Amino acid sequence: MSTPPIQMRAVDKSFGAVKALDQLDLEVAEGQVAGFLGPNGAGKSTAIRVLLGLLRADAGSATVLGLHPWRDAVRAHRRLAYVPGDVALWPNLTGGEVIDLLNRLRETVNHKRKAELIERFELDPTKKARTYSKGNRQKVALISALAADVELLILDEPTSGLDPLMESVFTQCVREARDRGTSVLLSSHILAEVEKLCDTVTIIRRGRAVESGTLADLRQLTRSTVVMEVDGDASVLAEHPGVHGLSTEGSRVTFQVDQDQMDPIMRQVADLGVRSLVSNPPSLEELFLRHYGDDLSTPGVPQEAG
Amino acid sequence: MDSYTGVWTLTRFALRRDRLRIAIWTIALVGTIAATVPVLDEMFASEAERAARAALMRTPTGVIFGGPGYGLDDYRLGPMVVNELLMSVLIALAVMNVLSAVRHTRAEEETGRAELIRAGASGRRAPGAAVMLVALFSNVLIGGLSVLALVSAGLAAPDSVAVGAGMALVGLTFAALAVTCAQLVSHARTAMGLAMLGLGVLFMFRVIGDIAEQGGNALSWLSPLAWAFQTRAYVDLRWWPLLIYIPVLLALMSTTSILAARRDFGAGLVAARAGRATAARTLSGTFGMHLRLQRGSLIAWTLATVALGVAFGSLGDQLNTFLAENPEMIDFIGGQADALTDSFYAVIMQYVAMLAAAATIVSVLRARAEETSGRAELVLSTATGRVRWFGACLLVALATAVLSMVAAGAAMGATAAAILEDSAYLGVLTLAALNMLVVPVLFGAAAAFLYGLSPRLLPVMWLWFVASILITMFGPIFDLPGWAMNVSAFEHPGFYPAVDAEAAPILIMSALALAGAVGGLAALRRRDLNAA
Repeated sequence: MSTPPIQMRAVDKSFGAVKALDQLDLEVAEGQVAGFLGPNGAGKSTAIRVLLGLLRADAGSATVLGLHPWRDAVRAHRRLAYVPGDVALWPNLTGGEVIDLLNRLRETVNHKRKAELIERFELDPTKKARTYSKGNRQKVALISALAADVELLILDEPTSGLDPLMESVFTQCVREARDRGTSVLLSSHILAEVEKLCDTVTIIRRGRAVESGTLADLRQLTRSTVVMEVDGDASVLAEHPGVHGLSTEGSRVTFQVDQDQMDPIMRQVADLGVRSLVSNPPSLEELFLRHYGDDLSTPGVPQEAG
Repeated sequence: MDSYTGVWTLTRFALRRDRLRIAIWTIALVGTIAATVPVLDEMFASEAERAARAALMRTPTGVIFGGPGYGLDDYRLGPMVVNELLMSVLIALAVMNVLSAVRHTRAEEETGRAELIRAGASGRRAPGAAVMLVALFSNVLIGGLSVLALVSAGLAAPDSVAVGAGMALVGLTFAALAVTCAQLVSHARTAMGLAMLGLGVLFMFRVIGDIAEQGGNALSWLSPLAWAFQTRAYVDLRWWPLLIYIPVLLALMSTTSILAARRDFGAGLVAARAGRATAARTLSGTFGMHLRLQRGSLIAWTLATVALGVAFGSLGDQLNTFLAENPEMIDFIGGQADALTDSFYAVIMQYVAMLAAAATIVSVLRARAEETSGRAELVLSTATGRVRWFGACLLVALATAVLSMVAAGAAMGATAAAILEDSAYLGVLTLAALNMLVVPVLFGAAAAFLYGLSPRLLPVMWLWFVASILITMFGPIFDLPGWAMNVSAFEHPGFYPAVDAEAAPILIMSALALAGAVGGLAALRRRDLNAA
């Protein structure tokens, strides 16, 4: 297939005066799990609703499985499954009924896998949906989506109500789906989850993609933290343009290194008589905070539904 | 007393949340009274006009929204206010109180908002008690202002106080009934339905009892709606019927108190049962889905219209008795006894159509509820297009209209045929229902069109619906001009069986309905869907 399962190019979407998507680019490559990262209100759910043909983009182009998300919605939906972040179910139907109903409407289901998933997620399918907690409602939507034989899964903050045990079941299930060849768009604000599961990450801020690429690529763009114990005087390192925030506590030295300056600095460090050295690549959290740090410290940033 | 902790806070909170609602209801109800009284005085100015009007109010059709008929012998302004106006005001008050009581009790509990309250320092009985205090406030406000309106129109003060007190007490009684219903079932909608069912049954008790005997018989005395009339205000004032409300209120409130103190949070009396682990074969496809979701309300609405049909169908022979006792009325209505029976049934068929239209509109607007709750998003993310999804919803709405009308017509016809010993009524009244069927369908189509275009426009449809009901019910009293009567959709199909049915209006309305539904479907394809 030439076009990737999801491709958005310079998509705009406004609600009145609020610009929810601003020239958004997003891509999910075939057979990969793509993370879609951003805090509430960044535009993740809006982007997903555009992809599902629930909202119409104001400008830009988007394809889902090579199809137009608005005009060919039904044809695209036959080949994908979606789990919303806030799952609303029909209070008077049981979980089992909802799972079956959704899969009948999706026109695809793997009955063996459905039974397996109900077991693994420990869902009681005979209970009415009105008695389910948020986590259980989410399980219903997840089981129904994962039981479908589809090419693409679109998951919008799918674990926000799950306990850690169920979260690991979810992680396992997504990996299995990828191993079957399913492409996955996983929107989340839980960094650990994205770090665990995703091959590529797009970070969105105020409706615009501010970073995207593989985790390794993203890490390349930023700094690693080095903690070491040396015999010599580390203060000479401070003169190097690739070294930032150097601090010394006895023999213990901490500093950040620009990723592309790692090699020359390490050569210099070697001369200082290293006793121990730990270098940590930037965590997703640091990547994230780099883009959002200013938002977090500025109160009153407008937040609409994510 | 711990279980009442927080009552005052909750009461103030509810009044704060409802200040606009209470203001609107107050202005609407008191305003209606203040505006109508002078109109009545003007409309029936001469002695002869009043006598003719009183004769009309004696007919079973007149008694439905009239009352037990005190003061018809000397029909002055006072009795006129009670007979022409009070019943509708009491029903509006009852509805207001039911909605408010359930909204502040079971609806809060169902959405989980009450959990926040209950986790604070507030007792189990506090929500129910607070809602009764709110009801006390709003009903006394409306009752009191109504007394002022009546007195300033020149009516006797003590009698006006009796009318205002009756209004407030009826309001409180239905608030108490609704709070009790809210303890019984775990769903706000069910609680509301249960209380409304109670209102319907008690209304029918009063109607049937008052038609059977002027002044009402024992059946009518079972209804709290009757006691407000039994003070005989402006005729021969007596206060004691108002005392009956006290033990009834106390009984309802102690029932609530006992239930509220014992049950679990969020639970009703009926425990939730385990359901099916897999979906039945019928729960498949969009039509199957909508049908399953609306099955309960489809049955409930149909039962309501059938009950209306049976209740009023059985009143046919009262008309004959009435005519035997008042032979002068035969001349008054144009010389034919059958004509009175037929126009009675034609009027009732309009009421049946009002109920069926409400059912149809609500059924169409289920789509809106699905959209704002986010459930539509889930369904539309599957291989289900918008047209199929909403189209199936419209088919279920159409089925609601057809079933509620035809079943009511057949039930009314069968009852009338049995009571009047004239089997022709079965066919005639079924046909009368089919004649009116186009009205609910048209309202449903209007709802569909505006929903598709933009849900923000839906109040336009509600406005038309309420205006249609008011015009059809009260237009003839106020002698509205033809163009104003024509605003009401209920006036357009022929007044069958009293008048021959005509094909043209039905065809035009059907074509409009079809166009509205198709337009709504087409418009829905073009707009964004949004969760609330």
